[in-house]
Amino acid sequence: MASNIKYPENSSRWFVQGSNLALLTDVDSDGDTRTTTRKKWQAIDEAVTNGILIHYYGEPNSLSSITSSIDLDNSLHLALVDYVKKCLYMDKAGVSAEPNIAALSAQMSSAHKANFDEAVVRYGMRKRDKTGGARVLKPVSLL
Amino acid sequence: MAVHSISVKEILSRVRLVFPDAPETYVLNLINDALVHMGMYNNKVVQAKITTVADKMWYPIGDGATDSSSNALEANKIFRVDLMDNEGDYIQIPRLLDKNILLMDVTSESALNSPD
Repeated sequence: MASNIKYPENSSRWFVQGSNLALLTDVDSDGDTRTTTRKKWQAIDEAVTNGILIHYYGEPNSLSSITSSIDLDNSLHLALVDYVKKCLYMDKAGVSAEPNIAALSAQMSSAHKANFDEAVVRYGMRKRDKTGGARVLKPVSLL
Repeated sequence: MAVHSISVKEILSRVRLVFPDAPETYVLNLINDALVHMGMYNNKVVQAKITTVADKMWYPIGDGATDSSSNALEANKIFRVDLMDNEGDYIQIPRLLDKNILLMDVTSESALNSPD
């Protein structure tokens, strides 16, 4: 079922506030532009099945057992090892009675944290970007 | 098979080289923590459809939100929204930067957070 909105790009707006997506339109249920200037932008006036299509960055699926498959690009799988080791070394540093072992574990935890941050936080997006090729500059036309 | 990927079992075995007594459930929980952390970056691009309701301004996108097929959205950051036009095509609509709108829809207030 289609909507009655002929030009959604002109007569609809969206924004996010907290955990809600707000959808505004300036047309009524027949698709005619509202005449009241002050109250022009309101909620959509019609029910449309599958009317909104959203594109977003989603969360990877969680794992329930060791046989589950990881819902991530394979370039990030090693970062998971770093994350787990970072936490385990920090745990070891916290419970170790031997100061040298505690200090060494804390250092190892920092090293794995740095690996994880580099793989995910700093360069993660750049490494997994599927866009390739040289950049081409297009000069501005002065005509 | 050129693409090399690691299974959870392999992660566990790599971890157990250094921590032989690492409990399986604990490692699994840590991996899930990491997945939540990694989900904050653009690892997984998802498209979902939501059904509009007449006079409803606010559509939930939080943890418990679902799409029109009742699948969990699990959305972190929305970067594009399309609205169906009168021919059934999805057209990209602009994002409003100034959220100080004059009219707040009354009928959709139930979708907003109220004090409890």
